[in-house]
Amino acid sequence: MRFLRHFALCAPLLLLAGCSTVDFALFHPVGRVAEAEYHYTLLLVGVMMIVILPTFLLMVIFPLRYRKSRNATYTPNWSHSTVIEILAWGVPFAITAVLIHYSFVGVYAVNPYNPDALDGSPGSALPPIKVDVITTDWQWFFIYPDQHIATIDDLVVPVGRRVDLRLTSTSVMNGFYIPRVAPMVDAMPGMRTKDSFEVDQPGTFEGFSTDFSGAGFSWMQFSTRVVSQAEFDAWTKTVQANPKTLPYATFTQLAHPTVNFGAKPAYFSAPDPELFNKVVMDAMNGVVYPVPDSLTKSVSSNEGKALVPAPASP
Amino acid sequence: MQVDLQDPWSPLFGRLTLDSIPYDNPIIVGTFLGAATIGLIVVAAVLYYKKLPYLWREWLTTVDHKKIGVMYIILGLVMLFRGFVDGLMMRTQQVMAVGPDSPGVLGAQHGFLPPFHFDQVYSAHGTIMLIFAATPIMAGLGNIIVPLQIGARDMAYPYLNAVSLWLTTAGAALIMLSLFVGEFSNAAWVGLMPLAELPYNPGVGVDYWMWAIQLSSLGTTFNAINIIATIVKMRAPGMTWFRMPVFTWVNLSTSIIGLTAFPVLGVALSLLTADRYLGTDFFTVGHGGNFMLYIDLFWIWGHPEVYFLILPPFGIFSEIVPTFSEKPLFGYLTMVAASFAIAGIGWSVWAHHFFTMGMGPDLNGYFSSATMLVGIPTGVKIFNWLFTMYRGRITFTTPMLWAVMGIFLLLFGGFTGMMLSAPAINYTVHDSVFVIAHFHCMVLVVAVGAFAAVAYWWPKVFGFKLDERNGQFFFWTFTLASIVVFVPMFGLGLEGETRRLDYVFNPQWRPLLIAEEVGIVLYCISVFYFLKMIYVSLRDRVPAGDDAWGTGRTLEWMTHTPVPFYNFAVTPQINALDELAWRRENGLDKVKPQTFVPIHMPSNTAVPVIIGAMAMALGFGMIWRIWWMAGAALLAIVVAVIARSFDKNQGYILTAEEIAKFESKTELASMIAEQPKRTPLDHVEAH
Repeated sequence: MRFLRHFALCAPLLLLAGCSTVDFALFHPVGRVAEAEYHYTLLLVGVMMIVILPTFLLMVIFPLRYRKSRNATYTPNWSHSTVIEILAWGVPFAITAVLIHYSFVGVYAVNPYNPDALDGSPGSALPPIKVDVITTDWQWFFIYPDQHIATIDDLVVPVGRRVDLRLTSTSVMNGFYIPRVAPMVDAMPGMRTKDSFEVDQPGTFEGFSTDFSGAGFSWMQFSTRVVSQAEFDAWTKTVQANPKTLPYATFTQLAHPTVNFGAKPAYFSAPDPELFNKVVMDAMNGVVYPVPDSLTKSVSSNEGKALVPAPASP
Repeated sequence: MQVDLQDPWSPLFGRLTLDSIPYDNPIIVGTFLGAATIGLIVVAAVLYYKKLPYLWREWLTTVDHKKIGVMYIILGLVMLFRGFVDGLMMRTQQVMAVGPDSPGVLGAQHGFLPPFHFDQVYSAHGTIMLIFAATPIMAGLGNIIVPLQIGARDMAYPYLNAVSLWLTTAGAALIMLSLFVGEFSNAAWVGLMPLAELPYNPGVGVDYWMWAIQLSSLGTTFNAINIIATIVKMRAPGMTWFRMPVFTWVNLSTSIIGLTAFPVLGVALSLLTADRYLGTDFFTVGHGGNFMLYIDLFWIWGHPEVYFLILPPFGIFSEIVPTFSEKPLFGYLTMVAASFAIAGIGWSVWAHHFFTMGMGPDLNGYFSSATMLVGIPTGVKIFNWLFTMYRGRITFTTPMLWAVMGIFLLLFGGFTGMMLSAPAINYTVHDSVFVIAHFHCMVLVVAVGAFAAVAYWWPKVFGFKLDERNGQFFFWTFTLASIVVFVPMFGLGLEGETRRLDYVFNPQWRPLLIAEEVGIVLYCISVFYFLKMIYVSLRDRVPAGDDAWGTGRTLEWMTHTPVPFYNFAVTPQINALDELAWRRENGLDKVKPQTFVPIHMPSNTAVPVIIGAMAMALGFGMIWRIWWMAGAALLAIVVAVIARSFDKNQGYILTAEEIAKFESKTELASMIAEQPKRTPLDHVEAH
């Protein structure tokens, strides 16, 4: 009993002692937008601590100090103090006012449609890289309208360039998220959302869907490769030379429910220039890619079998 | 009229075929055998001890608010256990299915649950815990305690009260049935749209979810009406508004939320029903439908619903902390004001559930600010509880331990909630398990409040206390388990793990998943101590006094323990806030009424339980599209309601002599005592 009690109180410390921060993706932001998110996280938590920590201390001290067995001061009828009540309302009110201020500044700083954090960034002098993101059940299509290429489950962007995304979905909702890089934004059928980010160091970052989209959801990952401008240009050229193209008819074939186990990438040249708009308009006009019950029931047993046409390597 | 479906349909059985029974799944078959065995044992015991007439007369057809409350709580605890097992399965699946090389058993590629099952399990876990565990337990507590705290004989509408209970039970029964017949929804407890529409969910799962919630939300709305009417109209003489205990106040505020919010859910689900049954396009993507409309409607109900659940625990803590600090509640008026502030602000924050859906910065900023405002009255409440303890004489009985833990959880849940309410932070952890850990902190406040309340008011209802030793073991194992499950979950959120994963694709997340698994095993141990606590208490039955804790302050501790079925022999005259404390100070607490007047009591009725059974048949018929069954059940409900309106039974009179007899031998009037059959009145004079 006594052991249990002490263990219960010490358990959080044991847990914390067992962790290093290396695995905590959100403590290692990359690029201005993610850094701004991290900055506001620390700032807001810091402001909150002004009231949380003293309250926590009182919550430990009062119950221990005023136990019956300790015979501390006892005022059986005391139940009102104007000063304490003013403080009890006033302090949270003041802290909340500060939090609201920083929340408003923060929401503009990381606003996915046009983040203030990217003002004056190295990439802001150059035209942004535009990528259209289309989610299907259960894959990611990345269309580069300016480069005339498209990929499945592989997002490649140059370092130090602003990336502007437009997102939509052919079927249900998905959440677009690259934990260390880009804010989470939902991709919604029949609608267009936006997201922006800029990364200042090369690397590969994991991205995945965060909004549950059905049986294949757990396998909806993509890699985000941030490469140098030269590598990006070379990669673009290779994909442009790929004989596999992506006209709208091909896209509608590929948009049928499919799980891409292991997120194996595929590459296409010459995607339909109106692909994104067609997907949005089709969804609004009632085009659906139904998921039959039988597929929902058997999704994972297909793992290991090639459901996707073998990708042509660039 | 009927939309096209993929699978066959017959007029007699609708969509139901033998294939709908998952007899090939060992987990479900095992569960079924276990449940069936327990069910058979219970039925056999009832028949063997010839308790069926007792069960029918004293429980199933009762309109007594305390018995209805107890049945609500039993229902809630059973569903809490089911929801816990779902949680256990989810945690075990995630710890088994990490990385592409993780092995799979029972037909799953990774772990033991393929996505088809895992998705049903996580959806069922949320639906059950919020709507069929937390809500019934809180409704049950309100039912038992509110009339006692205001000196009322019963609820304002005893019959409607029973209807509420049986509608909720019908919903819960449908969810349990979905385990063995057909499937449950895979579209989360919120009904992710457009995932819950026919093209993506052609099976009966979403229909089960929809009808179960629809029925129970009807029950909850009726219950809210009842509580409001009771508090407004049935207070004892002298019980002015500002002499009402805080638990009664929060039940008023929470019921106002219930009455105004649940119809919104009803509308949202009805429109979804039209989509799925008639082929309309309210929430579809195409043809002018708009699924954002559903998401807005759902959360316009959903966020007030969160406060609907958490306000009663605030009231519970406000009763327990003064009792065990032997002091009046600090800042009674601000406590009441804070409850209504929370309820009011709760209406204007719903869009913080979808900051990531592309709303502009001003709109996100507004909903962020509104959400942060909730922190002010919540902070006030925490300070008031703290300053109630300040210069008190605290005894740490189990109810007090639970209450203190609840306040800690509230601080931590509130802190992380404030973090989430800032979009700049939300964009990084929305839909991650950080959110899960946050709202589990909050929902644990509800669970902890429920355990506190059950331990606190148990003696009043049953006449003996819960076993203290096992209660403390239960408390400490539960606390430890909560820490070991949810602290790592916050960590996983910061590592970026997203929610609802059947297969965990990132092996870096494994260590903390293992920690969570350890925690869930600790929860299993706490379940053992809970059961042991109940068993030992039932075995020993150490009698408790009228004021079971010796320091009670409110009206319910003035009547007998266990509370007689007529509540108070003579309706008390109220003189002060904390009436019992006032009487104790003035040496009046031992004074018992000597002369009695007859009491007019409501008669039992079988109509509510029939309505409940028929509502379940209606739901089942609609789910499987067995139109004759649904039609017949609906007709039966209408006929039952009309038939009852011709019933001349106007209750019965409990004579002064009978009351005198009960007052001298109180166990004869207790909850479990059998009452003789009484002659109903066929009309009553106005009184």
